[in-house]
Amino acid sequence: MHASPEVPALSSPPTPHIEVDRLELSYGGVAAVRGVSFNVLPGEQLTLLGPSGCGKTTTLRAIAGLEQPTAGEIRIDGNTVYSAERGINVRAEKRGLSMVFQSYAIWPHMTVFENVAYGLRVRRTGAAEIADKVHTALDMVQMRSFASRRAAQLSGGQQQRVALARAFVFSPSVLLFDEPLSNLDAKLRADMRIELRELQHRLGITSVYVTHDLEEALAMSDRIVVMRDGLIEQTGTPDEIYRLPNSAFVADFVGSANLIQGRHRPDLDTGASIALETVDGRIVHGMAYGRPVGAELVVSVRTVHLRISTEPPAAAQNVWHGSIRQTVFQGDFTQVHVAWGAQNLVVRCAAMEPLAPGRDVYISVEPRHVVLLGG
Amino acid sequence: MRSATSPISAQQIAGYGVAAVAAILVLYPVFFLFQAALDVGDPQARPPTAYGFDNFNGILQYPRILLNTLTVSVAATVMALAFGFVMAWILTRTNVPGRHLFEQLMAVPYYLTPLLGALAWSLLGAPESGFINQVWRALGGSGHLIDINTAYGIAWVMALFEGSVAFVMIAAVMKSMDPALEEASQVIGAGRLRTMLRITLPLVVPGVLGAAIFVFAEMLGSFAAALVLGLPSRYYVITTAIYQLVQQYPPKIQVAAAMGVSLFAVMFFMLFLYRRIVMAGSYVTITGKAFRPRVTDVGPLRYVLLGVCLLYLLTAVGLPLATLLYASLQKIAVAFPTAGNWTLDNFRVAMTMNAVRSALTNSLLLGFGTATIGVVLMGLLAWLIYRSRLPASGLIEYVVMFPQAVPRLVFAFGLMWAWVVFPIPIYGTLWLLLIAYITVFLPLGVRTIAGVMLQIDKSLEECAQMCGAPWAFRVRTVTIPLLAPGLVAAWLLLFIASIRELGASILLMGPHSKVITPSIVESWFGTSSELTAALALIQTLVVALAMIVLVAVTRRVGAHPVD
Amino acid sequence: MPLLGIAAPAVLAQAPLKSPTTVHDFTTNADVAKAEQEGQLVFYCHENEPGTAGIMEGFRKDFPKINTSYVRAQTGALYTKILSERSAGRFDVDVIQLSDLAPAVDFQKKGGYEHYVSPETPAYKPDHLSSPAGSFFWTGVDPAGIAYNTTKVSPADAPKTWQDILNPRWKGAISCKISASGLQFVQWYTLRQLYGAGFWKEFAKQNPHAFDSRVQLFDRLAKGDDMITAIGEYPAYILFKDKGAKVEFVAPADGLPATPLIVGAVSKAPHPEAAKLFVDWAMSKRGQAWYQTNPNLYYGSVRTDAPPMPTGVRLGELKLLYPADWDDYAANRDVFAKEWNGMLGL
Repeated sequence: MHASPEVPALSSPPTPHIEVDRLELSYGGVAAVRGVSFNVLPGEQLTLLGPSGCGKTTTLRAIAGLEQPTAGEIRIDGNTVYSAERGINVRAEKRGLSMVFQSYAIWPHMTVFENVAYGLRVRRTGAAEIADKVHTALDMVQMRSFASRRAAQLSGGQQQRVALARAFVFSPSVLLFDEPLSNLDAKLRADMRIELRELQHRLGITSVYVTHDLEEALAMSDRIVVMRDGLIEQTGTPDEIYRLPNSAFVADFVGSANLIQGRHRPDLDTGASIALETVDGRIVHGMAYGRPVGAELVVSVRTVHLRISTEPPAAAQNVWHGSIRQTVFQGDFTQVHVAWGAQNLVVRCAAMEPLAPGRDVYISVEPRHVVLLGG
Repeated sequence: MRSATSPISAQQIAGYGVAAVAAILVLYPVFFLFQAALDVGDPQARPPTAYGFDNFNGILQYPRILLNTLTVSVAATVMALAFGFVMAWILTRTNVPGRHLFEQLMAVPYYLTPLLGALAWSLLGAPESGFINQVWRALGGSGHLIDINTAYGIAWVMALFEGSVAFVMIAAVMKSMDPALEEASQVIGAGRLRTMLRITLPLVVPGVLGAAIFVFAEMLGSFAAALVLGLPSRYYVITTAIYQLVQQYPPKIQVAAAMGVSLFAVMFFMLFLYRRIVMAGSYVTITGKAFRPRVTDVGPLRYVLLGVCLLYLLTAVGLPLATLLYASLQKIAVAFPTAGNWTLDNFRVAMTMNAVRSALTNSLLLGFGTATIGVVLMGLLAWLIYRSRLPASGLIEYVVMFPQAVPRLVFAFGLMWAWVVFPIPIYGTLWLLLIAYITVFLPLGVRTIAGVMLQIDKSLEECAQMCGAPWAFRVRTVTIPLLAPGLVAAWLLLFIASIRELGASILLMGPHSKVITPSIVESWFGTSSELTAALALIQTLVVALAMIVLVAVTRRVGAHPVD
Repeated sequence: MPLLGIAAPAVLAQAPLKSPTTVHDFTTNADVAKAEQEGQLVFYCHENEPGTAGIMEGFRKDFPKINTSYVRAQTGALYTKILSERSAGRFDVDVIQLSDLAPAVDFQKKGGYEHYVSPETPAYKPDHLSSPAGSFFWTGVDPAGIAYNTTKVSPADAPKTWQDILNPRWKGAISCKISASGLQFVQWYTLRQLYGAGFWKEFAKQNPHAFDSRVQLFDRLAKGDDMITAIGEYPAYILFKDKGAKVEFVAPADGLPATPLIVGAVSKAPHPEAAKLFVDWAMSKRGQAWYQTNPNLYYGSVRTDAPPMPTGVRLGELKLLYPADWDDYAANRDVFAKEWNGMLGL
């Protein structure tokens, strides 16, 4: 069965399922969330991405009702569940949400079946219906054969799946995920990522997902909210965030990027591109993508977009000399550090013959991959 | 902007209700204690006619007592720490055989009560009639080898029993130490001894210091050993002085109350210090992950250390019991009895005495009541203080821990006055003792349950919330089952603590509410030592049987591995 | 013939005049059926526990339908207890036995005793009753001499007179009782009258060990923890001699300080008929015989027709020292307490 999210009529924009409006939260003098606003559309997975301490988990828990914010509003399906101004704070158990915890929170004194059935028991579902739903849910996470096992005897990955089944068995409209995969090893994490995504599509549940892992965010999300120090840096689809970061932080956090500063050279601008001159006189052509063009510009170039060649490349713009400083073998790719005038550029290439340090090379990049950063 | 609030919930009602009960239980008697201490009018008049500080001046007439108290407490603390440290080292850091068994056995001295130890050591170490001294003389020595009726004698007995408390605290500290720290030292080339002195000791010192302060505070308020061993030679410490002042004729209640308040002030300060050192009021002795400390292979030394462990347990447990048995079977207890000196009369008479019949039943009943009500009340309090987000939970924590700073005897004082005027006639009944026990055990129970509670990951309860479970449902289906092993342990602890209680009971016993431990003391002061020994043994046996039954029954509750 | 109740200063309920009934072999003005219906007797007593339990046992043997319960504490503490209870409005006590006349008289003044004249009263001299009669009576007498451990003390060194207890050879090895003890107060007062105030000041230099009960004193004496006791109570001596202890009793020629043991029914008692019944029982030949022969008691009886003590000695044959002026005695209570407590370090 493949249920795709509801596609609303094109005449009006879809009403958001979750609205977070100017949310603020402090613990004892420390401001963890300093004014965060975003919406989550029905059926989409929105990921809060950022380094530790950026406030993403706190925001998630505020939506859940496990933390008390200090200002702002939270609305779910149009209903206000939190409003500082109006003195509303609906208890977590009454918000109709569901959550998967980082530590799985599997209850050791119950069996797998009982763990999953809990939410249904709270809702006083009949025994036959409980059995039916629980088994279906366990099937979906391939844990059916473990139903009568004591929950404490499961491995990490197994517990994670049970936690998942438990979270959606009572058909919540929203699923919150608090770094659910961070305690798993790399291989398992990669597999679970895909499973989770498939599950989310299948059930069509609106999800808010918190992670610090870039790959996870890019692979699973419909939209990403990048956070830093309690504030939102950028919101957008994974593609937008990756291709068009609007700040140095996002550029470097979401994939690795080189930052180049320079003076705007309006005389060298073409119709499509803008030009800047670096401090050592090199001319770099890039694209503004609608960002304001000032006198001083900073552009971001992804390491994978730079090309190294020993022969002069055919392109007209953005071809420079450089010399190899160091190559670092990383298995699937090689990281090459190139001296380029006054600064270093980092280039990520497919695995190649190591070039000797000191070797002169040509570096080139297409102007469309040189992205102007926002103010 | 107004802060958001949710409507009053069942959770909040329960929380505030429980907090109110605790506050009344603790503060109501303390008020009366202070009132008595500040009463400088006619002692018989109630309410007091005049207030002042004169009673505190009265204490200054007894500098000897203060000096004695200090001497005994310091000596006892040092000895208890020594026992505790050595035993903790042996049992957590070396590969002595039977480690785990011994760790369990270390709790037995606590169950036995210092009173029994004091009685037995009095029989062993009295300068003239003590068995050890009789043996000494028989072997050709002159005079006496030991005199238990001195400061160091009292300290010795106190330390033997308090040693197990010190052991638990220091062992916990050692278990929470990361072995990698020592391994790093050894990898660099430092030898075992050097590592211990330069790395281990400094790491362990803060914890040991905390234990030292805690133990010292307990010693200040200690009563049983000083009562039995100190009174004959008129060696008073502050608690026995208070007792004497209250019991003598005419009683000097006001000075006694002032002494009690002073002692309370000192103990309060000590415990305040303790909490500062042990990091802001966390009563969890094992925080988060406990490391598996590196066990040193000490080779054949193992058996020597095994001997040391056995020696401690024998001295603290075996020897007193054997001595009491030996004495109880004689007409007049001596080290080398003649054939005609053996008798079963003492046991026969003991069985007819109130102290055995009604006191035993009362104590067992009270034990049940205190433990059961206590676990519920203290469980709620622990949750309220450490888990709920109700305001003033910090304040409640202070109120609950208050009785720790007040010696039981002193607290009983306040309880006496407080409940005598209470409209409901509970004075002189078991109900009063029940209230007294629950109050004085608040710190013990809350601390034990909190320790278990804090080890339970918050997310387990939060998850239940996210599944839609309201508070009461959560508590019933998740919190309590997870807490069950801890609750059972707390129940047993409260049960045994109420049976061995002396300081409060001795002032609050009435005609229909006799309990075991004070009745042993009464017997000591009012009948022969042989009869007392028989009495004490009968009571210990019955209590031990009760404990065995209880532990067997509760073992089925089992320990679920808590993630 | 029923005795007329004489009005005492704070008389509360007067027993209705009726003929005394005979139960067992003694007469009582109490309503026995009612007493048994009340079913309880609460007894406050100064005796050590086996002694108090012993008294109760005797009463219960004769009246099994009446449950007995007791509180025991040394006289001073006991008296304080009952006073503070009564001042707080608690009236839980039926009968009280004290080992000191002073608090008894004080209690009488406060109206603490029930005014009840037992039909057994004629068997007692007026000296051994309250004044006026009806508040309390002397249920026995507890005389004290000197006692010593015969293995530690040779007959040559043995004390013979009261002055001998001041001998420095007993320093640190002599015992006495605590200030709450009625008998100790009597001993202090009477010997002070005889030998002057300096006597006890000298005694203080002996660093005596003080205890609550005579059993404790003799326990230590028998085991050699003390060599001699300055207040060897005759009843305890008899008890320990029976057990085979190596102790000896000395009756100094100047006399044996003795304290009366005072029993009286308490006013506002929860079980008034049982209280009266007990008083009659205690006063009777039957009760007195119990008091005299129970090993934990061994009291000397002042009943005019009482038999000799178990050792064959008659109370009258001993030279007993009582305070001559009971009022002066009572007035010195605080002086005694202060001096005695001071000697003992508190």
